[in-house]
Amino acid sequence: MLCRNIKNRYINYAVTVFRYNSTASQVILETLPERDDAVEKKKSPLDYPDYFKVHDLFTVKDLFDARVHFGHKEGSLNDYMRPYLYGSRLGHLIFDLDITAEHLRKALNVTAHIAYRGGIICFFNRNALNAHLVENTAKECGEYAHTRFWRGGIFTNANHQFGAVTRLPDLCIFLNTQNNILNQHTAVRDSAKMLIPTIGIVDSNCNPNLITYPIPGNDDTPSAIQLYCELFKQAIKRGKEERMRFLQENDN
Amino acid sequence: MALCFSVKHLFPISKCYVKNIILNNVCKYTSKNVPTTNHALDNMTDWETLSKKKKISKAMKAYLERAKEHDEFMKKQEFEYKIGKRHLANMMGEDPETFTQKDVDRAIEYLFPSGIYDPAARPLMKPPEEVFPARKAAEFDEAGRPHHFLFYTGKPNFFKLLHDGAEHIQQAYNFEDKVIRKKAVPDPNGELNIDNSIWLTKEQLEQVLVESITDLEYDNFKLLMERLISLPYAYRHKEFIEKYRKPLVTQRFALEIPKPSYDDEGRAFVTTYECLRKKARGDVTIRVPGTGKITINGKDLTYFEDVQPREQVMFPLFFTNMQDRVDVECNIEGGGPSGQSGAIRWGIAWGLRSFVDKDMLEKMQVAGLLTRDHRRRERKKPGQPGARKKPTWKRR
Repeated sequence: MLCRNIKNRYINYAVTVFRYNSTASQVILETLPERDDAVEKKKSPLDYPDYFKVHDLFTVKDLFDARVHFGHKEGSLNDYMRPYLYGSRLGHLIFDLDITAEHLRKALNVTAHIAYRGGIICFFNRNALNAHLVENTAKECGEYAHTRFWRGGIFTNANHQFGAVTRLPDLCIFLNTQNNILNQHTAVRDSAKMLIPTIGIVDSNCNPNLITYPIPGNDDTPSAIQLYCELFKQAIKRGKEERMRFLQENDN
Repeated sequence: MALCFSVKHLFPISKCYVKNIILNNVCKYTSKNVPTTNHALDNMTDWETLSKKKKISKAMKAYLERAKEHDEFMKKQEFEYKIGKRHLANMMGEDPETFTQKDVDRAIEYLFPSGIYDPAARPLMKPPEEVFPARKAAEFDEAGRPHHFLFYTGKPNFFKLLHDGAEHIQQAYNFEDKVIRKKAVPDPNGELNIDNSIWLTKEQLEQVLVESITDLEYDNFKLLMERLISLPYAYRHKEFIEKYRKPLVTQRFALEIPKPSYDDEGRAFVTTYECLRKKARGDVTIRVPGTGKITINGKDLTYFEDVQPREQVMFPLFFTNMQDRVDVECNIEGGGPSGQSGAIRWGIAWGLRSFVDKDMLEKMQVAGLLTRDHRRRERKKPGQPGARKKPTWKRR
């Protein structure tokens, strides 16, 4: 019964929602309003579906090449991840990259918008293999990273922890949402408590429920993490460039 | 009149000092010594400051308030210090304009003689900048954006160190790959010499980082650094490695060994003053060449009636095999035979340094001849017969 429900929902979802594929960028260009139009110049970036053109950043082929489609083994599947799956091959779950691409583009769009508005973005990752890469990414785009042991209360008891009133991140990006294979990162829960929006790469064994913008995909492989990092870096860069431009225009 | 004057003006100093102690605890949260924010990462562009109507975040507002409070406090302390210094100069009958910190210390020692053993507990008057360590500068800008990209870890400096270490390891690996690919031979001159230095201790590392770290974190630091230096091309990262190592200095003979003087007969002699042991104090003169004549307060070795103090006195001479080659003259007073002989033993050994070679010096050091014995008599405690002795225990 439950299975059927999920299946039905999945089918509805698949039918009604527009699905991007590797050739999708052309379609989007058509739907994008002209930004240079004098009439629409007063519009805010939020009035555009994709102001920062983050849809151009990657194709589904890129995701496939970076091995984003590989999930974990069947037995470890979290039921909430069912709608994002394409199938199973030799006992390993495979993500539907069309759905992943759609979620990723949405997340990149949010990231760019938050960067545009001067928000603080914090990268999280508890996988030691990728920690250095993530920290470098944060450094390069002028944002923040936390890839170490999470001391409880950094968000929920921040004023005490830092000894002063402290501004918390405005967006948390989780390159993996698990501490280890069993426990979820406490920052996911704490971000939810503090109403901080979160973007998270959720593998087939993760729970996407507390993540504001879940992205189904492989969260272990360095090549995949490298791709995500590059994409988020580009999105943040675009947001910041736009912000710089806006501030300079308004100053003059 | 003079006394009245001084008593009246002693007050501001003591007040200042007492206040310092109390406020020192209050201000502890600011005691991290971090330079100003000029070196903040350049890529952390302050986006908010670009706009004309600057929005000041709550965090910054709170910080500015605290900073203002602190500045006012320091100004007041500075003022009180200056007044106190002038009073001290007047009391000591010196010119207040040319009264330096050294004079202040001397005056305090003279006016407030203190027998307290721990120097930190003795009265002091220091410039407020020394008493109150510099306060941690704001870690974020007007918009509330932290300057450090690892700020949210809570220990940015420590984790930045780990990050840098990992970076260096990666570079070393890449370089090794490059060398192998080019089939080049490793540079024979490049070698990391780490024999005469050790890693910073946890406390020293904490001081360098201005952050407290746990034992586990310190172990991680050591693990990382050990891995870095185990790589074949670690010498290319010498600068980074040496920042976290401290040299092993041989403190042993850091004190200069005195050159012997010559008396009228042309004999070399060295006099060691302040030979102390228990309550005994005295001085020992060693003359070379000699015949092994020992003079203690004008008498020979029979000054000591027992065998043990005699052995004590002779021990350094026998140890260095100089018993027939030097003459020893001592003046000793205070204490008993044990203390006096111990003081002479140390004085002889200390004086013999000028007449023995380096190997023997090393041996004397190992034998404990050059170590001062600082133990003193322990006081008797009330309620018990001695320092440690307790009355015999009876049930009732």
